[in-house]
Amino acid sequence: MTKKPKEIVGQVFLNIFFIVLCFITLVPILYALSVSFSNQNGLLSSDFSFIPKDFTFANYKEVLFGEDIMTWFGNTILLAVATVGLSLTVAVPAAYCFSRRRFPGRKAIIKCLILLNSFPAILSMFAIYRLLRPLGLINNRLGLIIVYVGTMSVFSLWNTKGYFDTIPTALEESAQIDGANTFQIVIKIVLPLARPSIIVTALMVLIYVWNEYIYATTFMTGEKTYTLAAGLNSLQATEMQGSWPVFAAASIVVSLPVLIIFFLCQKYMTSGLTAGGVKG
Amino acid sequence: MKKTIISLLIVTLIATIFCGAVGCNPTGNTDPSSLVIWHDKEEAVITPLQDYVKKALPNITVTFERKSSLTDSLKLVGNDPNSAPDMFIFAHDKIGVFAEMNILTPVTDIIGEDFKSEYLPMTLSAVTYKEKLYQLPLYFETLLFMYNSKYMLENEVPETTDELLEYMKNNTGRGRYGFVEQHSTAYYSAGWIHAFGGCIIDDSGTPFPNGQAVKDALNYHTQFVNLMPGESEYNTVNTLFLNGKADATIGGPWMVPSARDAGIKLGIAPMPTVTGTRKSLAPYSGVQGIHVLKFAAENKAQTVKDFLNVLTASEVGIRLAMASGCAPAKTDCYDDERIKKDEMVQIMRQTAEIAVPMPNIPEMDVMWTVVDSLLIDVNLKKKNIDASFDTALEKANSLIDAMK
Amino acid sequence: MKKKTKITLKSYLWSSPSLLLIGLIVVFPIFYTAYISMTNMNVYHWFDYTVIGFDNYFKALFMFDSGFLSALLATIIWTLVNMILQLVIAYVLATLLNNPKLKLRRFYKTLLMFPWAMPGYVSILLWKTGMFNTEFGLLNQLMTKLGLATYHWLSNDLSAFICCTIVNLWLALPFMIMIIDGAMQSIDKSYYEVAKLEGANWIQRAYYVTVPTIKPIIAPAVIITIFTTFKQFDVVYLLTQQAGSKTGSGFHTILTFAYENAFIASNYGYSSAISIIIFILLIVFSATFKLKEEGDR
Repeated sequence: MTKKPKEIVGQVFLNIFFIVLCFITLVPILYALSVSFSNQNGLLSSDFSFIPKDFTFANYKEVLFGEDIMTWFGNTILLAVATVGLSLTVAVPAAYCFSRRRFPGRKAIIKCLILLNSFPAILSMFAIYRLLRPLGLINNRLGLIIVYVGTMSVFSLWNTKGYFDTIPTALEESAQIDGANTFQIVIKIVLPLARPSIIVTALMVLIYVWNEYIYATTFMTGEKTYTLAAGLNSLQATEMQGSWPVFAAASIVVSLPVLIIFFLCQKYMTSGLTAGGVKG
Repeated sequence: MKKTIISLLIVTLIATIFCGAVGCNPTGNTDPSSLVIWHDKEEAVITPLQDYVKKALPNITVTFERKSSLTDSLKLVGNDPNSAPDMFIFAHDKIGVFAEMNILTPVTDIIGEDFKSEYLPMTLSAVTYKEKLYQLPLYFETLLFMYNSKYMLENEVPETTDELLEYMKNNTGRGRYGFVEQHSTAYYSAGWIHAFGGCIIDDSGTPFPNGQAVKDALNYHTQFVNLMPGESEYNTVNTLFLNGKADATIGGPWMVPSARDAGIKLGIAPMPTVTGTRKSLAPYSGVQGIHVLKFAAENKAQTVKDFLNVLTASEVGIRLAMASGCAPAKTDCYDDERIKKDEMVQIMRQTAEIAVPMPNIPEMDVMWTVVDSLLIDVNLKKKNIDASFDTALEKANSLIDAMK
Repeated sequence: MKKKTKITLKSYLWSSPSLLLIGLIVVFPIFYTAYISMTNMNVYHWFDYTVIGFDNYFKALFMFDSGFLSALLATIIWTLVNMILQLVIAYVLATLLNNPKLKLRRFYKTLLMFPWAMPGYVSILLWKTGMFNTEFGLLNQLMTKLGLATYHWLSNDLSAFICCTIVNLWLALPFMIMIIDGAMQSIDKSYYEVAKLEGANWIQRAYYVTVPTIKPIIAPAVIITIFTTFKQFDVVYLLTQQAGSKTGSGFHTILTFAYENAFIASNYGYSSAISIIIFILLIVFSATFKLKEEGDR
């Protein structure tokens, strides 16, 4: 089948549109990129160009070898994996119950959760400190994981529940007749169908952990326990100290793993539903 | 799918347990031969300190930990020996807050009063709150008048503010500035207010005790602001000077290394005198030093005492000055041959005579924002000075009221 | 009857880990804040505070002068403008990205996610100094090149509002695009075929098929985003109101206003009272917009 010229023109336009859009979106990041490769110690310059004039890798070298970035990276990975895993482990069963079962208190809890989650968190820090201290969870990664999972669990629960609601129950019912138990149904039928929302939830949690630094710097002491975001924050160029190019290089380095994960995840973003699960 | 989920679960479980086990460091910070010190300084300051202490006190393990949200963390953990440090290094302006919170022990309770005679009076008055010394000063910082000697010649360096204004009028335009400063931030404008005999807050916590002086200073300052960029944040100001687009500036000693890196022929001069009042611009100074937390003072008395005594040596100040160019708090450091040659440190020593220590009372915390807003209203929004001042005073009073 | 009890128990059992964590990290702080708001915990009574009743609330009511009301109004406008733009733009982009003929879809999507991958405070700083700076910012460098006068982007209320909105959109759109895109993946393609056969055009297909299908899926994320936008602090504070680098803009959301007029006084009791009041306002706000219906499904 030959393509119609109209289609080709449309495609070209679509691609041009996205290229321009991506460029505009990335301007601030290209800016950081240019600063990170530049040899001058400044975030600003009077004649900026996207291609750095005084090209150097020194800033990246300093980030990768000068700081404890590998330790921080390890800490972050550990926290991120634990938090994402734990978030999904607690959210999926709860979301399934709230989506499929009818029990007293269900509606009330759902309504309340969203309202409670709207509480401005500026002052939560103190309360959470008071909570973790007697449990010996200050200066302890487990404490941080609990805080992260807890903070994200309203989102995780709501987001997965919302998606579960849209999955027709027909398949589950037939599986039930075939003798499958609830655990099997969730694992084999519901989760594959809900893949996009599971991935979105996981990514959201991951990015939260990746970028969170306030709890990480307040509840943990010592550079050895820093996460990437916390370490980056301590590198932050203030008026008195620090170097903008190194800081810019560090921000780029911190962002890249998330982008790679995102790129890899996209393949799995399509729901099993479109593959023809519940047509009949 | 099933396999993926099960393996994910296993990984999670392992990671969580691992975190719990690894993170669970029993920092029951009670070992009397070890000290934990929080700070927010750059390595150039900490390394000489660390090296010196290691040699002088081989039996004590001193851990310096950089903490980026130091004051906020201390507010949380200040009285919890399990998570708080024993001491911390910070500027003197939070002394009031921490003293009122009752987490600090006066250093004089530990090492007596004798050391006082050897310190610059300015540093001692800076660290005194309610007649007690809460910090052992190490060094201080204050603003300096800096110029680019490529553009501002030696004989053009202004001695008075009128000369400065004249210079600015002649040399500002077409993307260049005769003089730039962070004109609308409280820290930088305090120098102008002091030169008119005013101040931001007095010892008793009264904001703007001499209102007319503040208004006069603001009014006089506006003509300078009009010849400066409409942005007063530090990035802009410093970049202008470092890019050679501004001939002179008022900045901290921390600008010196970057100016040298940028190839600026840097000159440092005493602060100009305000023509009308015959007083110099008197900038704020910040005294950096060691604060001792109550718990450590009570439970590790001897270790803390030894540590503080070691740090009163003049050698500490000299090494700090050589490593990072900061101005030592001890008087005799300046007579040392190595320090005599350092022009910048010596000028800071001179400025110490006129510099006003930042107020250390808790009420000052809210004044930074109030004064910032006042300056923005007057300098950038060109609002009426009297009206803006009244608003600021009202806001200051209500915020100070809200503290209690 | 017995079966029903069993289902209830089982459901609560399975939900308990999630609910317990929410209870600890989300709900407990609210009650704790409410408790602190009744005490005199401030710099002078940091560890030895006592319960003093509703004094902090009476004090807080004095703060609610015209400044607070205009900040509240600005916040509502801010939320509406941001949410409408976010939804419309994200919807259009997600639709285009789902065009089956777009081969480089994954590549574009990944690039568009970049703003999300960067820590927020870094991005805001980049915008503030890199883009909006009056002397060196890219925008003003561009203006100069085009022969136009430079502009103080962040120094008046309206343009600061627009700049904050742009930055907020930049930060929030990736997430919204991903949510809508994820939801669109779930639409059974046969619906479109049917719609096409019946002669529905692009807009009709969107109106009758896409929107109704994705609405329930994206609703939770959208509602959570509405609240995040309402209590937005970082964007507005770091761009225009940060101590030491204020720009002269008078645009405040209720949180930046409360911060500047109360939180900096480090009086926890008083700040807590204000937080609780803002929280109550949020609930009122959400009730007005009938968000609670969502839970009824």
